[in-house]
Amino acid sequence: MKSELTLSVNGEQQVVSVEQDMPLLFVLRNELKLTGPRMGCGMAECGACAVLLDGDEVRSCVTPVSYAAGKKVITIEGLPRVWAEQKQLSPDEASKTLHPVQQAWIDEQVPQCGYCQSGMMIVAVQLLAKNPNPSVDQIKDAFTNTPPSPHLCRCGTYAAIIDAVQRAAQAMKGAAR
Amino acid sequence: MSGKTDHCETPVTGATISRRGFVKTGGALFVSLALPLPFAVRTKAVDNPTSLDPALPASWLEIRCDNTIVARTGRTETGVGITGYYPQTIAEELNVRPETIRLIMGDTDRTPDGGFSAGFLTGMTNVRKVAAYTYQALLALAATQLGVPASSLTVTDGIVSGGGQKISYGELVRGQHLELRIPVRGALAKPDPTGWVGLASLDGLTVTGDPPMKSVSEFKVLGTSFPAGHIPDKITGKTQWSCDLTLPEMLHARMVRPATLGSTLLSLGTIDKKQFPTAEVVRKGNLLAVVSPNEWEAVQAALSVAGTTKWTEWSGLPGSDNVTKSIRAHTWEKPSESKGKAAETNAVLENATNKLSATYEQGYVRHAPIGPFVAVADVRSDGRVTIWTHSAQSQGLRARIAYMLGVPVDQVVVRWMDQSGQYGRTTLGGDGAEADAVIVSQLTGKPVRVQWTLQEDLTWSSVSPAWVSDITGVLDTNGHIVALHSAQYSPHMMDPRPIGALLAGMPCATSKPGHFVATEWVYDKIANRLEDAYGMANLAGDSPNGGLRGNIMRTPGQRQQNFALEGLINEAAAAAGADPIAYRLAHTTDERMINLLHATAKAANWETRPSPHAGAQRAGNNPLRGRGVCVMIRENAYWVGIAEVSVVPATGEVRATKFTIGGEPGKILNPRQLDRCMKSGVVMGLSEALKEEVTFANSKVTSTNWSRYKILTMEEMPEIQVVQVSRDDKGFGGGSEAANALVPPAMTAALFDATGVWARRVPLTPDYVKRLLAV
Repeated sequence: MKSELTLSVNGEQQVVSVEQDMPLLFVLRNELKLTGPRMGCGMAECGACAVLLDGDEVRSCVTPVSYAAGKKVITIEGLPRVWAEQKQLSPDEASKTLHPVQQAWIDEQVPQCGYCQSGMMIVAVQLLAKNPNPSVDQIKDAFTNTPPSPHLCRCGTYAAIIDAVQRAAQAMKGAAR
Repeated sequence: MSGKTDHCETPVTGATISRRGFVKTGGALFVSLALPLPFAVRTKAVDNPTSLDPALPASWLEIRCDNTIVARTGRTETGVGITGYYPQTIAEELNVRPETIRLIMGDTDRTPDGGFSAGFLTGMTNVRKVAAYTYQALLALAATQLGVPASSLTVTDGIVSGGGQKISYGELVRGQHLELRIPVRGALAKPDPTGWVGLASLDGLTVTGDPPMKSVSEFKVLGTSFPAGHIPDKITGKTQWSCDLTLPEMLHARMVRPATLGSTLLSLGTIDKKQFPTAEVVRKGNLLAVVSPNEWEAVQAALSVAGTTKWTEWSGLPGSDNVTKSIRAHTWEKPSESKGKAAETNAVLENATNKLSATYEQGYVRHAPIGPFVAVADVRSDGRVTIWTHSAQSQGLRARIAYMLGVPVDQVVVRWMDQSGQYGRTTLGGDGAEADAVIVSQLTGKPVRVQWTLQEDLTWSSVSPAWVSDITGVLDTNGHIVALHSAQYSPHMMDPRPIGALLAGMPCATSKPGHFVATEWVYDKIANRLEDAYGMANLAGDSPNGGLRGNIMRTPGQRQQNFALEGLINEAAAAAGADPIAYRLAHTTDERMINLLHATAKAANWETRPSPHAGAQRAGNNPLRGRGVCVMIRENAYWVGIAEVSVVPATGEVRATKFTIGGEPGKILNPRQLDRCMKSGVVMGLSEALKEEVTFANSKVTSTNWSRYKILTMEEMPEIQVVQVSRDDKGFGGGSEAANALVPPAMTAALFDATGVWARRVPLTPDYVKRLLAV
């Protein structure tokens, strides 16, 4: 049974007509064409599908879309806007500015295949919102022990991710107004 | 094109440049292959070529009048940085900025050369020579234009200077249609049922001749940390991955796999059309799929069909606990390959009184990508087939699919897109979801996207086979090794037959159950050595679905053989009471290895002493410390790994506390990219050393999710220290995949240092280590 649901995705209201139990991941990818979050394990064991829901990371592959209705969904496509609003950037500045986490991921050359990195950046944004200056151990803890499962990277980019989180932390501190 | 054609062809250092005509707008120099063609590539479908004819203009490189450059390569970005170092290489030889170069990769109809991404050195040499030929052609053009000898010209950032004048490459080609023909040899991949892997010409085309190229010491762009071009769009979400592709009328498919690895279909399940109105079941042989225009409907309907489909019982596997026993039970005949001096080594072994022997082993491991395989195929009613995939061997895949369908390769186009890393699984052009997608598209008459599930990927994809190695060293009175014999026994690792073709009962270009010696010899002071590699068929290979299909995985063969070799070296050093680094230094005169051992040991604060550590013990609740080393040479690159571990004997828990990795690949072409690859390789190696093993019962694989096929998490990663040694006098070597192979032997040596007990298998799980220490 399809229902009409209103979602807030990356700051925009979206109306979708889907089954209530359809995973949010399928709605984002197939209905809204937001392909940043990706299908990994399909059982909340890897983190490739992670998005922010009211600021907290969820695994969109097991989150029914109905659960997301009325909450704010952020995917990597929406991160520049999150940062622009946080920093009240002018439209011109905003169009040229990535979220510091994204910029750090580029500057540190984090991705190898890159498949898991969308989820990794979502964790980083959540972590830095709660802890603006995380230690290496705190970063490892956040990426490993935050339920429901560790965020897995098969290429083995963990060291680069740590470097990038620390770089983003510095950049966000520098950008504080 | 308009204006007159200049038929005058000018030879330039083995290549030929000609002006095909003048154009009113634009203009470019196109680089193509010299005639005569070594093979027929031109197809009758001129409007829709499925193979880029390397003799056509614009097949390799285009120097455009806007000073941009397009380069085409059959190789692909698998995550190790080709989108960085290919532009760097071309830029180096052309004297342009790498940012001006755009790469087109992997598409069979848009790239000329084929080949696999594993062939770093061959692919790199191709693009380097293409650029070098082109540079000479551009100099010749500029010499004519400026009226000065080519030898007096200099080029910076694509601007040629000479005789007090300047002209850019773009200006040199403006208004003209120029063509440069370069010499090549070889052929694109094609089915070869008699060959070892079922395909011929996996290397693709090779550019020949010797155009003048820069010496390594002259490199300005190579050697810098130029960023890999694929990264920014992946960070912002702009990259269109193969999993993102949608086509008009495309159906989503989920496969319904047999109940066991060897089951065949008894009766097909049904779909409740009330619940799933637009879903359909399709079948060919044992290949079942549920298709729907709506992906979520396909997922749910497939689960429902799986629940009502009946399969035969089957139980032909030995069970993962019995793998070694079952490899041992095979009747082995002669080795598939041997290296070294057989007669001399055997003679020394026969007469020796002081020998050290050990047996090493490992179960099955697998590539285990984070993204389960996905592929899209469109099989048209006129027979044309297009496949969108992330295979690392587009031409090989194309040949396999053509063979499966029984059509000429001309009918098949493979388009490459980014997707999850495969770590060698697709290097031989097979084992993905492409055959599934092609067959289901043929059955439905629509474009089809097949998305495997993780469970399916971890059950049905090919695996890196289990192995056993017997290795013996003959020792002199100082405990030094004077002769060494190794024999490795393994199901073969060259069977990338696509599971879809196997299940559907369609033709597969089969492979032979051979094996190979992959070590590169470090210890030249060991006068006599003999390495034998024995291959057998897949475990349960005679089952209807091919059994556990062995396939290559990162550093194939060498990873396993080096584990046994370096294990024995470490054991012999301990037996001799020697420091394991000093012991290695006593067995080689290779100056590159000696230098790297010293540099890496220094960085790791290596304390010279024998193993085990004075405080080593095999019991207790307190963490014990240990350190261990191993070395390797691969593709003109030298590697040293030093592991430091903490072990709690009572629990069997082994943690890496630090890993120091040294690499000397001749000239380092991109230090940051190499740093990233070295660290990530260590992570993958630690994962294999500590956690990974495919488990299976008699009927099926049981390690089917990330809780059962465990890989290293970020928290388990230790500090990784990288030592890079770059030198200008040894060319350049392979960079990306050796690191993972260094870890297991260094880890087992570190465990011995801490406990005095040798582990001769990995993974070092708590259960295994506890058992080992309790004996």
